[in-house]
Amino acid sequence: MPVANRAHIFSVSLALIAMALCPLAMAADALPALSPEHLAFFESKIRPVLAEHCYGCHSAQAQEKGKLKAGLFVDSQQGLMSGGETGHALLPGKPLESLLIKVIRHEIKDAEMPPKGKLPESVIADLTKWIEMGAPDPRLAAAPVAKAKRTIDVASGKDWWAFKSLTQPNLPAVKNAAWVHTPVDAFILAKQEAVGLTANNVTSKEKLLRRVTFDLTGLAPTPDERAAFLNDTSAEAYSRLIDRLLDSPKYGERWGRHWLDVVRFAESGGYEFDGFRPGAYHYRDWVIKAMNNDMPYDEFVRMQLAGDQIKPGEYEGASAAGFLVAGPYPGQITAKTVEKIRYDQLDDMVSTIGSGLLGLTMACVRCHDHKFDPLPQRDYYGIAAALATTVHSPSQIDLSYVETQKKLAVHNQIGAPLQAALKKFETEELPKRFDDWKRDQLPKLQSTAPWQVFDIQKATAQSARLITDRDGHVIYTGNKAKDDTYTIKVVTHQKGVRAFRLDALSDPTLPSKGPGLSDNGNFVLGDVKIIAKPLDAKNKTKPVTLKLKAAQVSFEQKNFEFAKTVDNNPNTGWGVAPQMGKDHAAVFAIDGETAGFDGGTEFEIQLRFSNFFGLGRIRLAFNNGSALAQIADTEDMQNLRELRALTDTKTVSSSMTRWFSRFDERAQELTAAVTEHERKRPQPVLTEVYTTKNGGEDVFFLRRGEVDRKEGKASPNFIQVLMRSSDAEKKWVPTPEAKQPAVHPRLSLANWMTDAQAGGGPLLARVIVNRLWRQHFGRGLVPTSNDFGTQGEKPTHPELLDWLASELIKNGWRLKPIHRLILLSSVYTQSGDVNPTTVQRDPENHLWAQRPARRLEAEAIRDTLLQLGGKLDVKMYGPSETNNESGRRSVYLRVKRSELVPFMTMFDAPEPNQSIGDRGNTTVPTQALAVMNSPFVHDLAAQLLNRIMATKPSGTEEIVSRAYEYALGRLPEAQETQRMKAFIEQQTQLHGNKPDSPTLAMREFCHALLCLNEFIYVD
Amino acid sequence: MFNDLTSNESLLPSRRRFLQQSSLGFGSIALASMLNEQQAKGAPATLNPLALRPSLFAPKVKSVIWLFMTGAPSQVDTWDYKPELQKRNGEPLPGSDSKTGFFTTSGKILKSPFDWKQHGESGSWVSSIFPHLSQHVDKMAFIHSMYLKANNHAPASMELMCGDSQPGRPSAGAWLTYGLGTENQNLPSFVVMHERRPRGDDQIWSAGFLPKSFQALTLDARRNGVIDNLSRHTMESAAQQRSSLDLIKEMNQKHAQLRSPQTDLAARINSFELAYRMQTAAPEALDINQESEATKKLYGLDNKTCEVFARQCLTARRLVERGVRFVQIFAGKNAGGDGAVDDVPWDGHNNIETNHRSCGAATDQPAAALLADLAGRGLLDETLVIWGGEFGRTSDSQGSVGRDHNPKGFTIWMAGGGIKGGIHHGATDEFGYKAVEDKVHVNDLHATLLHLLGLDHEKLTYRHNGRDYRLTDLGGRVINEILA
Repeated sequence: MPVANRAHIFSVSLALIAMALCPLAMAADALPALSPEHLAFFESKIRPVLAEHCYGCHSAQAQEKGKLKAGLFVDSQQGLMSGGETGHALLPGKPLESLLIKVIRHEIKDAEMPPKGKLPESVIADLTKWIEMGAPDPRLAAAPVAKAKRTIDVASGKDWWAFKSLTQPNLPAVKNAAWVHTPVDAFILAKQEAVGLTANNVTSKEKLLRRVTFDLTGLAPTPDERAAFLNDTSAEAYSRLIDRLLDSPKYGERWGRHWLDVVRFAESGGYEFDGFRPGAYHYRDWVIKAMNNDMPYDEFVRMQLAGDQIKPGEYEGASAAGFLVAGPYPGQITAKTVEKIRYDQLDDMVSTIGSGLLGLTMACVRCHDHKFDPLPQRDYYGIAAALATTVHSPSQIDLSYVETQKKLAVHNQIGAPLQAALKKFETEELPKRFDDWKRDQLPKLQSTAPWQVFDIQKATAQSARLITDRDGHVIYTGNKAKDDTYTIKVVTHQKGVRAFRLDALSDPTLPSKGPGLSDNGNFVLGDVKIIAKPLDAKNKTKPVTLKLKAAQVSFEQKNFEFAKTVDNNPNTGWGVAPQMGKDHAAVFAIDGETAGFDGGTEFEIQLRFSNFFGLGRIRLAFNNGSALAQIADTEDMQNLRELRALTDTKTVSSSMTRWFSRFDERAQELTAAVTEHERKRPQPVLTEVYTTKNGGEDVFFLRRGEVDRKEGKASPNFIQVLMRSSDAEKKWVPTPEAKQPAVHPRLSLANWMTDAQAGGGPLLARVIVNRLWRQHFGRGLVPTSNDFGTQGEKPTHPELLDWLASELIKNGWRLKPIHRLILLSSVYTQSGDVNPTTVQRDPENHLWAQRPARRLEAEAIRDTLLQLGGKLDVKMYGPSETNNESGRRSVYLRVKRSELVPFMTMFDAPEPNQSIGDRGNTTVPTQALAVMNSPFVHDLAAQLLNRIMATKPSGTEEIVSRAYEYALGRLPEAQETQRMKAFIEQQTQLHGNKPDSPTLAMREFCHALLCLNEFIYVD
Repeated sequence: MFNDLTSNESLLPSRRRFLQQSSLGFGSIALASMLNEQQAKGAPATLNPLALRPSLFAPKVKSVIWLFMTGAPSQVDTWDYKPELQKRNGEPLPGSDSKTGFFTTSGKILKSPFDWKQHGESGSWVSSIFPHLSQHVDKMAFIHSMYLKANNHAPASMELMCGDSQPGRPSAGAWLTYGLGTENQNLPSFVVMHERRPRGDDQIWSAGFLPKSFQALTLDARRNGVIDNLSRHTMESAAQQRSSLDLIKEMNQKHAQLRSPQTDLAARINSFELAYRMQTAAPEALDINQESEATKKLYGLDNKTCEVFARQCLTARRLVERGVRFVQIFAGKNAGGDGAVDDVPWDGHNNIETNHRSCGAATDQPAAALLADLAGRGLLDETLVIWGGEFGRTSDSQGSVGRDHNPKGFTIWMAGGGIKGGIHHGATDEFGYKAVEDKVHVNDLHATLLHLLGLDHEKLTYRHNGRDYRLTDLGGRVINEILA
């Protein structure tokens, strides 16, 4: 029963809810009357066993002790009949189908009962017999009716505040209307007035500048910016400041980093080898750009969920979809682990979508319906199914895809007449010219070399750009990669092919003259595969993969022997170090029958280069003589002998043009025009992006989340409690009957998610405006940023949250207007001055009647230290930086899951394995050690002093002033100046009053400023 | 450290925020309030954070030393003697299952290449690779029926240490620090030592979603166990540093006075003093030159084969002696030549005999010395020593003489306070292939570990992304059978 058809159960869950209300009646109906024999059997054989082995975990008493397991009670007939979390415990009359019997017979993995060891066979036989009898049980009224199983009621789940439609609250009336600068203030003030709190007044301009500059850019205001703001006495000064900061590209770097916490962004796979993902940074860059461009948040979400579908082939779409694949994923997978890993990967995506976008805890729903929120497993597996065909992939993406497509269209337009001319020639002139040539020239021509060089039909590669020439060369022209496969197609009309020859040619244009593409000219050819197919469509013989032997080779490197090209292990292969800069050749002999079909043969030759670079210049040849040709034997183009083979056929075919063109000027000219044009084919500008790829397979419901316990197949669905209409997801997921064009299920998910009327939009908007509030104030209106469910904290100001969410949607989902509403408000600009009444009445500052100082995050601390030392490198974007002491902003430091940057994690940068909405804010002595002792901070303090000295200050007092201005954004008070002068004096003496002692002392003064709370706690 | 706080206790923020923002230990408060339902729900902590509160029940031990046998030793070549394997070498392994293992196994029984003898009063069987540890079997409780799910090193190590094979969960050491804090405020409470970063590295000793105050300090043997930023800047004398710190403290106190009370401002003022003391206390704790020649010799510091592990074990003893809560050593490898990869030394895929012989030689004497030394100093009663790898190995061969990964049955042992010595709990089948009797899951092991430290695994919880997480997740049963 429990294993039966979970999918079906879900589809009729409402019916089940109704049924669940009357299990007792149903069970009682099904039971036979209790005879004295039955009673005796139960009392002697059954009750003692249940009491001894089962009641410990499955009884009312166990429940009282908190030891109840699986929600199952076996101390009452009702409990047994209604079952636990995993379904009915027994089916009267059907022992073999009863869960009770299955678990005691240890038929269900990890549910072997009792846990302490198997019951004796005789006891199992008794229990089996008892169920066969119909499970007569006298304990009808003996135990309290236990609610063993929780059934999710989605309809009543909608009553939870976060799942309701957005309200459109009116602005509350307030007494102190002067305090209200933006509507935000009205909501805040109304609550304060209700309890008699008075908010603080606006803080000083200096503090405001520092606050908002850090808040929006993560860097300190410069002395120039300070002067400009203080000198601007107009009423719009602050508003203009906000505009400037929101327009600064540093805004995206700061706020993009906040988003990267939410999406567990890292550039490596974690797990076993934590493989680096060179193309992962594009997602980070996309986030920063999107923030700076104020991309509407609904589009921002849609692109992350389905960018690859919205803008297929495009760099932007591929980069944005990096969201889905930013999570951990093992690098070492065997057949034995692949399935678990697949479901873990889906779990990573579903959980991040849940917590990050909707503030819902989805992770636990993998194994069971949510214990607290109205999230049945159907919702989890529905989203998982929408992601079913989404797999991780480092893909080669065209940076200018749209351009390339346009150029291709033009290219094809120009090429069309050339092809038409060739075609015309082939039909109208060729036959006659060929007959003449055959009669006059052919008998005089000779071609007898043992190796015939293939005239290449087509050469492509996964990454490298390859062209061919008329002398049988395949030539690399760009975009090399360490993992690549070259696929080369050649044909012959001859038969009896016994061997292939690969010439790896050196060339002055190649690195170290080649023949390989690595810097030293080497290559590693991992595996070679040759597939033979009949050329003639009438020949129905199936393609064959030829069995190859590594026959001869010019040279082989130690441990990179030629034979490793045919060992079916692409990770081992043939190399030629140290013999680079020379031509090399290798002969693959066919092991077995010679190859060649009637009517001609196409050979597809695959050269796989793995973990190393490939070849720069190649020629391929074959041998069909009576004996195997030797590596030293001569080579000649195949054309003449192809023509001889073809003249045996009655008609002249167009395929002859190709061969014949070598001998006919006109044919050569027309073919060359086509080939020449082909060579100009616009090439994509490829770059590796870590993104999604189509793959994967169906998703099944998993019992307890375990892959070896599959139940029904899941189909794409969304979260029911957030649906506004009765026909649920039909609006977004077209059914086959509806005859609508198929929509990629991830695109449906994205459309549902951002649907502000009927889908996930209202919650999506609430969650993001709350994140903005959280970053501006240090705590969200909902303090649990990632949990809007019943286990999260409720909003302190629900009306304000809904008002902001509505404003967001009204303003086309743009975030910058929301920032502005918040930043211009009195609640944001107020001071942190002590007001004893506020502290006493609202110690946790729920009502925002004061503004506490907040510590900077790890990135802001590091970036500001660099900024003060004049070492900040403002270059944006690009591959991540591996030198932790580089001047790049911290958002560009490499994020490798197994080797996080110590300075960052020390100051609470999160571990990028799960979505994080609220970073910790800890204080530990290792932080103090880092600022006290690290050469990094000391050096930057010394650099700060150098910058001050470069302005030729008049004396110690001015040095102290400047340092305060840089580090703390204000000038020192007279008393502070005196104290600092005394300190410098004292340190100078401790240094022994040597010539450099004053400089060392002033460095220590600068260093001390960087250690102050005032430096890293912003008012 | 909270001396600088206002005495008005009601001004303190909620417990949860307190835990997120503060940090320097004081787990006893954290624990006390965690065990108190009402406070766990986030009511304001009306406590003096310095006050010590009794835990739910008396702890048996104060510290844990976990000797992690990186790469996974074979149970049937160490502690789990199976005469059937010896008798039926080369025969098909009954019950051999294609899902066990990570690569491919032969399905044919591979006997243990080592000699086995019984030791101690308990008559426990030990293979010949442990001539020193075998003298201590009567101190050890063997769990022969360990099992877990993951069957590759990194995920299994995460499962063993964090209870789950997906990264992101806090490790046992972080949970303990969260639950109990540290006895010595001058030292970190959770220390990890390794010679090679094991597979999964930071993810294995992760603080996960717990506040970063509970993260491990790692001492890397390749860098002689240096702690970053512990030494004063080269241009600064002790007196100059003191005078700088005095200035910083003075300015910070003035800064705090002008603002509403904030625990984090006070905590940061104090953290500088603590850091100042750590500069002296930590090097002292790590300085094994203070040990007598006899002690160094006991651990095998004079023996090239095992000197790295010897240094780590001796350091571990010095740390627990000074109140460090949780020390974990990932055994590295300083004997080589058997094809195993350096970061997973016990990973005997190719040749179980040469591999385990060299790994045994690299770890046996130091581990035995640790037990003897702790016992000799009366510390074994308050310390729990755990020995084991991330899983076991297959009873059938991989290649001709190697063994593949096997998470379905393996042995770990514990010794120390609260542990019944010389007993054998649980069993694998007659071939040592699968745990069949009294199976022990990682959650059970963790429940037992927490129990020995006076914590109830069902009550040590932390709310993250809408869920109260536990080290033992939804499972866990204290293994009473091995408790004294």
